[in-house]
Amino acid sequence: MSILTSETLSPRFTLSGNVMQTLYRVLAVALLCVALTMLSDVFLTTNNILNVLRQTALLFLMASGLTLVILTAGLDLSIGANVALSGCLAASVIKITGSPLLGIATGVGCGFIIGLANGVLVTALRIPSFIATYGMMWVLTGITYYYMAGETIHGFPPGFRQLGSGHLFGIPVPVYFMVLFLMIGVLFAQRTTWGQQIYAIGANPIAARLSGVPVERRLVLVYAVSGAMAGLASLIILARINSAQGDIGEELTLPAIAAVLVGGTSLFGGSGTVAGTLIGALLLTLVLNGMNLLQINSSWQPLATGIIILLAVWIDIRTRRIGE
Amino acid sequence: MKYLVVGLTAALVALSSSAALAEGESIAVFTKNLTNPYFQAVRVGTETAAKKLGVNVIQYVPTKPDSIPEQLSQVEDVIVKKPNAIVFIPVDYKALVPAVEKINAAKIPVTNITDRSAAGDFVAFVGADDYSIGLAVGKRLLDAMGGKGNVIILEGVKGSLTSTNRVRGFNDALKEYPNVKLLASQPGNFQRLNALQVVENLMQSFPQIDGVLAANDPMAVGAIEALEAANRKALVVGINGSKEAVDLIKSGKLLASGDFNGFIQGCIGTEIAVRNLRKQSTPKEVMLKPIVVDKTNYAPYEVPVEQRTCPTLEQVLAN
Amino acid sequence: MSTTALPAQIARVPGVAIALIALCIVFVLTSPGFATSPNIANVLTQSTILLLLALPMTLIIMTEGLDLSIGAVLTFASIILAITAVSTGSLALAFAAALAVGLCFGFLNGALIAVFDIPPFITTLGTLGIAQGLSLVVTDGQSVVGIPRSIETIYSGTAAGIPLPIILAALAYAVTHALLYHTRFGAYVFALGGNREALKVAGISVRGMLIRVYVFGGLMAGFAALLMTARLNSAHPTAGIGMEFDAIAAIAVGGTSFERGNGWLLGTLLGVITVGVLRNGLNLLAIPSSVQVACVGALVIAALFIDGLRGEQ
Repeated sequence: MSILTSETLSPRFTLSGNVMQTLYRVLAVALLCVALTMLSDVFLTTNNILNVLRQTALLFLMASGLTLVILTAGLDLSIGANVALSGCLAASVIKITGSPLLGIATGVGCGFIIGLANGVLVTALRIPSFIATYGMMWVLTGITYYYMAGETIHGFPPGFRQLGSGHLFGIPVPVYFMVLFLMIGVLFAQRTTWGQQIYAIGANPIAARLSGVPVERRLVLVYAVSGAMAGLASLIILARINSAQGDIGEELTLPAIAAVLVGGTSLFGGSGTVAGTLIGALLLTLVLNGMNLLQINSSWQPLATGIIILLAVWIDIRTRRIGE
Repeated sequence: MKYLVVGLTAALVALSSSAALAEGESIAVFTKNLTNPYFQAVRVGTETAAKKLGVNVIQYVPTKPDSIPEQLSQVEDVIVKKPNAIVFIPVDYKALVPAVEKINAAKIPVTNITDRSAAGDFVAFVGADDYSIGLAVGKRLLDAMGGKGNVIILEGVKGSLTSTNRVRGFNDALKEYPNVKLLASQPGNFQRLNALQVVENLMQSFPQIDGVLAANDPMAVGAIEALEAANRKALVVGINGSKEAVDLIKSGKLLASGDFNGFIQGCIGTEIAVRNLRKQSTPKEVMLKPIVVDKTNYAPYEVPVEQRTCPTLEQVLAN
Repeated sequence: MSTTALPAQIARVPGVAIALIALCIVFVLTSPGFATSPNIANVLTQSTILLLLALPMTLIIMTEGLDLSIGAVLTFASIILAITAVSTGSLALAFAAALAVGLCFGFLNGALIAVFDIPPFITTLGTLGIAQGLSLVVTDGQSVVGIPRSIETIYSGTAAGIPLPIILAALAYAVTHALLYHTRFGAYVFALGGNREALKVAGISVRGMLIRVYVFGGLMAGFAALLMTARLNSAHPTAGIGMEFDAIAAIAVGGTSFERGNGWLLGTLLGVITVGVLRNGLNLLAIPSSVQVACVGALVIAALFIDGLRGEQ
């Protein structure tokens, strides 16, 4: 009999802490939007907003599964390389079989298996997630480079391409995915036992185990989910750029981690939300979009991202202190 | 633990013996990364030429793409092995000068291709004139635009010689068409997704774009994707003469692509290195002519690089 | 203090040493050029810059921290060094400038972590972005050239037949070793990892100590910048990219535990050399680069797997 009731697992201070954090962030997003509207007369146009949403969607999909991993006080550095291998394999399957469905299954499936492997490294082999996923990143990159041999796969069926560049009622398809997985993520994390157990593992793994939480199985689950989401993200990238190359997704790992952290999830585990990650992704994308619209030299972008991350976390820590 | 060691040994012995070498000179080839298809074409070119000439080539590519320290380390490691000759593309044409000096000090003859190194003694330089290609391709686009309208330029990687020279060519082409307005010139890092997002953003600020000058094919493709997704039309040109570009030229989505042929540069670079070893005469410089690939002449470019044959030095010089 | 950690460290001695010896045997057997003195000199010299970064990183990891910015700080320091050298012609001034850059970033990291309580991963991720951004903005993507050529002797010169970088790295190792194992500073570093209450009881400022540890990291990055600039005879905004992860991998291979904060300096040294030997051997064997990439990952995973097994015994 588990003593894990919802009261035990969501102590009130965490909930209100989360609410405060989310509020501050929504405020930040609002302020940023106001500022950008004043600075650039093309910011608030339909096209630009849809662009921002589409770019946010991709980042969010990468970061959503990652949120679960970080909630358990772990880390997944392999998601970028996962995107590359899953994407390249999916691309091959689509070209060879002509079937987008098979390709989608391959992409998500490959991502899932890679995630499982990460989970096994962390639980059965007891390797710290930081190192395990880092080593996995190198292994995946090597396999991808070997497989692709410097070539590009290009030209996918138009039906498949709708995934990335299509519109439904005027809204880009990736945005629908974003909303879907936002709802799934929030429901899973806050309303299912498994979700609560994940928070518990992050907050206090020993207590969780003593309370009967199957820690290893849940850990494998979060890494598998993170991997599957990377696989899904790779499909969207494929659909967007209509090609696959050995280095796709490489540049998304750190921004995805940044999105989770800026969204308020703590690296120490046990606190944070999937909704927060969405807002984090939105914040980062807005900043980059603003810099592009204002024609600021792209060399300044890493600088801006770095400062945002620091600011966001600093504000978090101050507000957490107020909440306690 | 013991099993690990045994397994590792067996694997490595197997790997190295599968690279069993034929008789003939050994040539070390250095390229920038594993992911850009251009360098893959170079590598295939060197291997095709090697088979024809009866020599062995060994490829050295940094595991971290475009990593300067790694290429330096690879050069130092290779010097220990003393290959007969080296064919060299520097990751950065200024930063790898110390590596070239080490090669010179070790008295290994080295041929420079693609990116002209800022200093060092070379048997020859084989390349294409990025400036002329940019100029020719740029003029083709502006011509097709009827000499008026708005264009944007997609630059490559900031600081790369290739990008600087191609963009210079674009800009000089623009000077000859005073009624064409340059709206913006932004780096796309020679990458597809990058260029796609840049064009997406530029389309917000500029409702009317008639032409896109992209410094390489992947960026041209990214631009085309962005335009299509937004239901906008513009004439686009790229540089590389890649298979993907040819497909797009056939379907009418890409106007033209400048031929910047990695395959031929690999072929000729290897041939010159071998001729130099066999004490035959070699030219000091081979500059491939700028060719603009479009609907009229794309056929030879449809053949995948693995199936092409190397032109000989004489054929190339005769052009 | 870490008296209970000592037996674990001794049990760990064979781990990375076994891997190193095994690799050396394999490469000696399969590659004729491996065991020659020019090649060995190469491997060791190529490892020096990484070692300079891995040494302070070991200390930082022992304090349950991390410095992801150290590669970017090295890059920016080398750029400032190069610019100073070109404009003033003085290498001494340039070196001082590089150290100053390292000091500033080290202090920034330490302050954000110690005073504002921002987790090290995030802090240094942020400062990584700042350092990298500054490198790009200042150089506009171009290499900085025109440095007085005398700087090259720092990397390619020898003293008594031993390459200078190896001597400098050995010096750095000796200093770090002395600092960690023979000074109170070192004792406090150990305490930061397992036993912060002890420090507070003793009246030592935890904040001050943390800042000092990260400043040490920054200074070593500045020192490494000198070697890097000497090696390239130029500075480039991408020169140091990814080196922080290389350092972390080498430290992990060497046996330092991320969870328990047991630092082992000799392990770091062996880890750095092992990674260098692996790459060198694979290059000599002309193993395709893509396979090399996978090998490095496999080494990291294997090393930790074995360590995990050891830990159980």
